[in-house]
This record gives sequence, structure tokens and C-alpha cells, in this order.
Amino acid sequence: MDAAVRHRRGRGRSFLPELTTTTTNISNRNRKWRSGDQHRMKNVDEFPQISSKEEIATFRNSQKQSVCVKMLQEGFHRSFSELFSLLQVEQQKRAESDPASAQQLQPEKLETMRLHLCRAEQAERSGSWSVVCEQRLVLGQYFSASEDRSLSLHFLRSCAGGERAGNCRAAAEARACVAELYLQQGELEQARQQAEQCLRQTEGGSSWSDSTGRLLQMRVRGTLWRIYDRLADAPLEARNYTDALRLLHRSHRVATESEDRQTEATAAYRLGLTYQSTGDHDTAKEFFSTCAQMCESLQDTEGLGNAYKAMAKSMESEGNTQEAVQCLEKFVEVTQRSGVKHNLVDACMCVGKFYYTMGEYSRASHFFLQSYEVACETGDVSLLQKAQVWLACARPQSLIREFSTCTTLMSK
Amino acid sequence: MEEESQLSATTSRIIPLALPKGTEKVCELCQRRAKLQCNKCRVTFYCDAEHQQADWVGIHGRICQLLIPIRSTTLYSLQGAEHLEMQLKKTELIEICRLEAQRKLSERKHYEALPAAQFCLRCSTDVHGPCTVQVVPAYLLLAEANMGLGNLGLVAELLSQVEWVVLKSPDCGHTLHRQLHRSLGLLHTVTGNLEAALFNFANDIYFASEEYGPESTVTCQGYFLMANVFAKQGKMTITHSLYSTVTQTWHVHLSKLVQAHVQNAQTPCMLLEHSYDKSQHAEVDEMLRTILEFEEKNSTQDSGQIAVVTHCLAMLWFLRGDNFKVSPSLSPLKGFRLTQ
Repeated sequence: MDAAVRHRRGRGRSFLPELTTTTTNISNRNRKWRSGDQHRMKNVDEFPQISSKEEIATFRNSQKQSVCVKMLQEGFHRSFSELFSLLQVEQQKRAESDPASAQQLQPEKLETMRLHLCRAEQAERSGSWSVVCEQRLVLGQYFSASEDRSLSLHFLRSCAGGERAGNCRAAAEARACVAELYLQQGELEQARQQAEQCLRQTEGGSSWSDSTGRLLQMRVRGTLWRIYDRLADAPLEARNYTDALRLLHRSHRVATESEDRQTEATAAYRLGLTYQSTGDHDTAKEFFSTCAQMCESLQDTEGLGNAYKAMAKSMESEGNTQEAVQCLEKFVEVTQRSGVKHNLVDACMCVGKFYYTMGEYSRASHFFLQSYEVACETGDVSLLQKAQVWLACARPQSLIREFSTCTTLMSK
Repeated sequence: MEEESQLSATTSRIIPLALPKGTEKVCELCQRRAKLQCNKCRVTFYCDAEHQQADWVGIHGRICQLLIPIRSTTLYSLQGAEHLEMQLKKTELIEICRLEAQRKLSERKHYEALPAAQFCLRCSTDVHGPCTVQVVPAYLLLAEANMGLGNLGLVAELLSQVEWVVLKSPDCGHTLHRQLHRSLGLLHTVTGNLEAALFNFANDIYFASEEYGPESTVTCQGYFLMANVFAKQGKMTITHSLYSTVTQTWHVHLSKLVQAHVQNAQTPCMLLEHSYDKSQHAEVDEMLRTILEFEEKNSTQDSGQIAVVTHCLAMLWFLRGDNFKVSPSLSPLKGFRLTQ
């Protein structure tokens, strides 16, 4: 036992194992160290094998210092100055946002930054720019947490924007990541610029795939579609349909190119909806039917149902009630197939409402009853209440008619 | 000859046996029994004329009169307000000596810096106590002067003293840490322990960055020293990359100075105020010349880099007001333009 302990202690730095793995606040740790100075001195004296100066320095000084010193010692001064200024900015920002707990970066993050920055600088010296980009890309993807977003953005931008990065896979992927980050932050215009540039970049290397193995070109198109889609929200809200249509057409085109059927169907559906709002029901129906076809092939019942529902609405506004009813019944059928109860309630209620407005109360109440029954199964109270109300509206109406026919018969 | 006569006028011979008992006078520089006395202040003693002269050139010429109130102790001077005033005067004296020593050191006059550094150390020990943080600058100055003179054993001893003091008070500020690591790095470079030198220079750069930011000229000095070590190790790419950073930083700094200088020149009254620290001149000049030499010897001649260094040198000499040296140092620049 004793020998084992001595053996463990004898291996230099292992007499304080928790120090290297701890994730507690570094500054806290420092304070502790400094106050316990004399105690530690005694500790060192106790062990026959005294740690080297460098090892002592790693215990004594902050993690930041030891990482910086290590970088410099190996001659990676550019990485050092980059890391140092990044840390300064980061520290300032954190101190401003929350002065009480101005936390520093975790040790393992510092270590990762050191490793990859040094590798990048090494590659830069030997002139292999693609490796530089790759290392920076790794760093950019490493900082995925929301509080490290600025760091991630820094590395990705430096990767994508390096003068000599030019045309390499990593730079293009970094640009795609930058576009996605901007999209997440809601800076759509910048996101659009980055994504469009990236798309141009990938034209040179259409076989590039990203780190997860997906084709880069397709990924960028998917992003670009989402960006256009989001960009169209603002003009739609302002009822500026020409601008919205322009953007949505672009998004549809990108979606078609991306060869992702699901995306394409959604794009078509949105275009249809917008045409519907402008009153151009023919074009709207065209898009809805393409959407329906695609959903059918994808077996996306929800999308299909939505398409039918929207189509019915268009037909109804055209005054084509017969076809509208057909559409709606298809809608019910589709949702029944899918087995998603919420949608079924919704579909039945739609049909019911339609019949109700047409004055066919008994049919309406039939559908409302159905929706009520399904709603009972779902256990969703608000949905159930809605169904109840509609049923309660439709049932008496149908009964009144029966009753009135009865009374007329009786009076005869 | 003229100096000789002046010197003999400033000293007078004393006879040690004639002094009152218990008041043995010792030499200001070597602490041996004194035989000469400074005639101007009458409170400073030397063993021979050589030491007197060294001290006069080194520091005594500046502080001769200031020593009189400090060294002529009276009964009053040991009490209360008088005592405080004395401490203040001593602190002032320390500052004067420190600056003087620093100036001599940056002018590369190591031997002349010794007396100032020594006096600074003695006075600081007197005021603050023997092993305190306040004594550290004096130790460092002394170490630097001795380093210049090649007394490496003494330097090692002095620096380990400093290391011990700094170790005991880790919160003594970045400046002291930086200076200590720089001196240690220099010592290790000279003794050939290159790994240790790199470690110390790395720390030096870290503390300098903490204090002035990674792009300052102070940090740059650390980069330069580090590059020299890498050059000794034969790692030329790293050296080249470090040198280019140093040059870039100095180029920016000097350009700013030149711009300010030109603006000041338009308003003549400002011309006298030199924004440029002259004492640094020799140091920077030496540094830039080393870089230039390295770049010219380098197999992959980077003409852009050489041009930047030359431009720096030219600006440096221009600021110094030495137009004579500006034009020859610019000639490689013309060649560079032609090649572009």
C-alpha cells in the first residue's frame, strides 16, 4: 500500500492529480494556490523527486499563461498573439455581460485552441494552405455552444476569408457554416451573401462533401433555400406580394436544384399559399398539386393533407364547391391513413365547417361528431371543446329541420 | 589632462589612522579601507583614484551634492519628521540612480552603469529592507550590467536572489516578472541552455503582452531575443517568421513617429519636443541591423522583408536627425523597387 502510494507520487506531477482535470474557475484556483504557498512548498520538499521548473510553473501559474508559454516556446508566436487577443476580447465581453461571474474559458478549450492553432501555423510555414483551412474549420466547429459563438465565427471567417485559402474544400465548408450561423442569429442579408458566395465556390468542386459526408453543394442549397424562405417572411407580413414571390421563386429554384424532394415540396406549398393570397388561384392550385404529388411519392401524409386543404380553399374561393368538397374529403381520407389524430380532428372539422356553411347541417354534424370522437381519444381539452361547440351548433340546426318537417307533416 | 587636474582638485587624501575610533571609512565601490575623500561633498570616500574616477563618471557626478544631507547624520535626523524627510530624499535618489543606470545600459556602457546600479541597490536595501520587492529593480540593473561585462557567475547569483524574492510575492506585478524572465533568458542564452532560455523568453513575452498588449514594442523585444535563440538552434523558418513580426511592429511604430515628427516640424515650437526616446536608439539600431543581416544571408531572400527592414532603419536614423546615414540605408530600397 505504502509502496504503491510512493510509486504514484514519484511520477512527478501526479501528486496533485485533480489539478489537471479540474474544471473549476481558474482564478479561484490561483487564489487558493497563492494563499497556500507555504503549505505547497512543504509538499514539494517532502518528495524526493522534485518536479522540474516547467512543471512547477504549470501548477503555479494560470492555465492561460501555461498554454501561452507553451505555444511561444515552440515558436508559434502568431498563434499566441491570435489566442491572446481573442482571450482578451472574450474576457472583456464576459466581464461586461456578467461582472459577478466573469468566467474564463475552460482549460480543455484553451488546450484545443492551442493544438489546432499551432498545427495551422505549422502548415502555414510549409505553405500547405488547405491544411491551415482544415485546422481552422475544426476549431470553428469545435465551438458549437451558444456562448462561444463569437469564437466560432472568428475561426470560420478567418478560414473562409484567408487570402490564400482560395479554392479549397475546407474554406467552402467554413463559408457554409458562417452562412448557417448568420441564419441562426437572424442576420439574413449577411447569411444570403455568404451562402451565395459559397455556392459559387462549390461550383469549382462539385464533388466536395462536408465533414459529415453530405455533399457540400446540396447542403449550401438547403441553407440558401431556408435563407430565402426566411427573407420572404418580411414582405409577406407587409403584404408586399411581388417581392415575396420573387424571393419564394428563388427559394423554389434552389430547392429544386438541391434534389431534396421534401424541401422542394415545402417550397412549392409556400409559393402556392402566396399565390392564393394574391388571388391567383390557378397558379396556386398548380403548385399545390405539384406539392401533393411530391408528398405522395414521399409518403408525407401531413404535407399531402396540407396541400389538399389549401387546394380546397382555393377552389372554394373560386366558387367551385363540388371540387372543394372532393378535395376536403381526400384530406380526411389522407389524415385517416396517417393515423395522426390531431390532424384528423382538424380535417373533419374543416369538412364539417364547409358543409355547415353550405347549410347541409346533417352532414356537417356527421363530420363534427367524428371529429369530436377522435378528439375524445386524443385527450386534448381545447380541441375537444372546439369540436363540442361545433357539434353543438350543427346538431340543433339539423334537428330543427327534422323537427320542422315533422311538424308540417303533423299539421297536415 | 584637463580631467586629471580636475580630479585631483576634487579629492583630498585622508589618513585612516587619524580618524576617530569606530568610524572607519570605506571605499564607495569596493568597500575596502578608504584613502581618498571627495572634496565636493566630503561624505564619500575611495580607496584609490581609479575608483573615484569610475564612480564620478558612473553616478557620483550627478548625485554628489544630494548625498550631503543624507550622509551627515545628526541627532535630529533620526527622529520623526526629519526621518521621514530623509526617507523621501533617499527614494528620490534611488529613482535618479535607476534612471541613470538604465540610460547607461541602453547606451551599452555596462562598466559605467555599475556604480549607479550598485548605489541604487545599497540605497534601496537601506530604505526598504534587504529582501523586498522594491529592491528587485536594483538587482536586475546590477545583473544586466554584469551580464554586459561577462561576469556570468555573479549574474546567476543576483538573478537567483531576485527569483526568490519574486517567488515569495507572486502579486508583485507584471513588470518585475517580465524583467526577471528576460534577464534569466539572456543568461541562459549566453550559457547555452537554449531550452531554458526559450521558456524564460516565452514568459517574458506573455507578461509583456499582459502589460502592453501583444503588438507593443516591448513585447517585440522579447520576440527578437527569442528569434535569436531559435536561430542558434538552427530553426530558420521560425526565426524568419519571428523577425518579420518584429519588423512589422517596428515599422508601424516608426511610421507613426515619423508622421508625428513631420507634423511637429510644421509648427517649429514643437520641434524641440522629441516624441522619440533617444536612449532606445542604440538598442533598436542593433536589433534592426541583426535582422537585416539575417535576411540578407537567408537562402530564400525575401526582398519585401529586406525592404521593410531598410525602411525601418532609414526612419530610425531620420528621427535621430542623422540625415547622413539615411540616404545610404535607403539604397537597397531603390533596388527593391526596380525588382518589383
